[in-house]
Amino acid sequence: MSVSTSQALEYLQGLPGMTQAKLYTQPSAALAIFRRMLPHLAKTIVMAMLYMPKPFPATDLDLWLRPDARRYATMHRDLAMSVLESLHIITTAQEKQGPKAYSLSKDFAKSLKNALTGGGNHSSFGVPINDHDRQEVSIAFLDDYARTQWETILYYMVGSAGTAIAGNHSISSGTKTLLSIGGFVEMKLNRTVITQTGFTFLLQEVNAQVWSLLIVYLENAPTLNMDEVDVLSFLFMLGSLELGQAYSTANLTATQQHMLDDLNDFGIIYRKNVQSSRFYPTRLATTLTSDAGALMSESSSFQNALRSGSESKGYIIIETNYRLYAYTTSLLQIAVLNLFTRLSTRFPNLVSGKLTKESIQRAISYGITSDQIISYLTTHAHPQMQKTVPILPPTVVDQIRLWQIEGDRMRATPGFLMQGFDLNAYTDVSNYAEALGVLVWKSDAKRSFFVSKIDQISAYIKGSQKGKKGE
Amino acid sequence: MPRATKGVLIQADASIKAILVKIDSEQHNAFIIEDLDDETLVVKEGKLAELQQRLKDKLKDTIKEAEDSGSD
Repeated sequence: MSVSTSQALEYLQGLPGMTQAKLYTQPSAALAIFRRMLPHLAKTIVMAMLYMPKPFPATDLDLWLRPDARRYATMHRDLAMSVLESLHIITTAQEKQGPKAYSLSKDFAKSLKNALTGGGNHSSFGVPINDHDRQEVSIAFLDDYARTQWETILYYMVGSAGTAIAGNHSISSGTKTLLSIGGFVEMKLNRTVITQTGFTFLLQEVNAQVWSLLIVYLENAPTLNMDEVDVLSFLFMLGSLELGQAYSTANLTATQQHMLDDLNDFGIIYRKNVQSSRFYPTRLATTLTSDAGALMSESSSFQNALRSGSESKGYIIIETNYRLYAYTTSLLQIAVLNLFTRLSTRFPNLVSGKLTKESIQRAISYGITSDQIISYLTTHAHPQMQKTVPILPPTVVDQIRLWQIEGDRMRATPGFLMQGFDLNAYTDVSNYAEALGVLVWKSDAKRSFFVSKIDQISAYIKGSQKGKKGE
Repeated sequence: MPRATKGVLIQADASIKAILVKIDSEQHNAFIIEDLDDETLVVKEGKLAELQQRLKDKLKDTIKEAEDSGSD
């Protein structure tokens, strides 16, 4: 599961059960969640349960686990079940005296069946318009449109507001407000200044960026009198549309009609004008719920990069003496480099500069991490550099890390300190925490340990206590 | 009975940790929840930023930055 979809998953898990239930009545939403958000084992469980007429006893689920791999398998099952339960896809039905059993949410099951078999009468996957448009909209055009819109937003964030790139593409006041609500930028003395969250956002993969922005959009939907469920199901629908195909706006709800304008601003969909009765999803939309690279992420979709010209190929060369040369004319890319490089000269197709302790530490003080810088440089490395292994000179990579360590001398991990166990429970629970990968620190002498996440641990402790009482 | 305490785990060199403990005692124990060992502490979540800032200020006084040649 990629970073971008896990973000969306976290958001979904935080929604109230009612909202989730409403969402599941849309086959496209059910399919998108099933396909892209669930862990693999959860998918298997859902698939197995889909056509079961009766609730599924918990003891039967245990039988599926191989006894020789029980510990490992139990952990994965717990993870899968906790995701499914927090999404309310699976509910635990426990009758008096009867054994514990699971059942699949009715709405979810029905929608997923419809989505898989193509049954039902719904327009959840969009209504395509097949008649010929007077002006043909090509895929290349859509890519270009999406890239321009999205880059404009990013460029605005880097803090050069006011000077629009390449002509008259400016971002709307709605988008500006959204960026400041999301905490990506803040206004200081009438100037837009990027924040720490904004930097993290900027260095993410495009797909993750889109989701981050859309989640802010979703969180603010109620204040704009928009129905959260409508917004979400529209987004999931967009994820299932086909690139280059026109879709009708006729069957959309009022909320969704309103969204079209905003999404048009983001470059997620394209409309010729506000009255147009058709819209085209761009690559930003169709990759919302898929693994395929969105249009500007050079590393993941190389073909795409080839098609869209030299701009999106790697362009950065770094020498072992920390000098950096970037073959680019894009103001956005230059602005991003300027965040952590001391740029000295600019030529028509090249900027050059140097990574210095000062420039890296300045970036770190903004909240960019050394790993983010390194991964940015790696993914955008010039094709000539990508031929070598490792791609970046090791001295430079090490030095960037050292500069960061020099800045922060302590490692901080938010979480929970667990204390007060007897010996057996301590060993058992701390091993479980370690297997889950949430254990940060432990002390055998004090019988205490520190975990970064507590949900599964507390469930595990409760479970083992119940087991003891039963004995 | 097991119990969980919410906080931020700080892992640092023994020397840095000693400075943190000193800051805490100067500020009437405003930061530290639990002193675990020579290199580990748990501090209050809301106070982390302030603690980091105070540590930075302290270090500025004690450590001299090596001069950067800065030649291009």
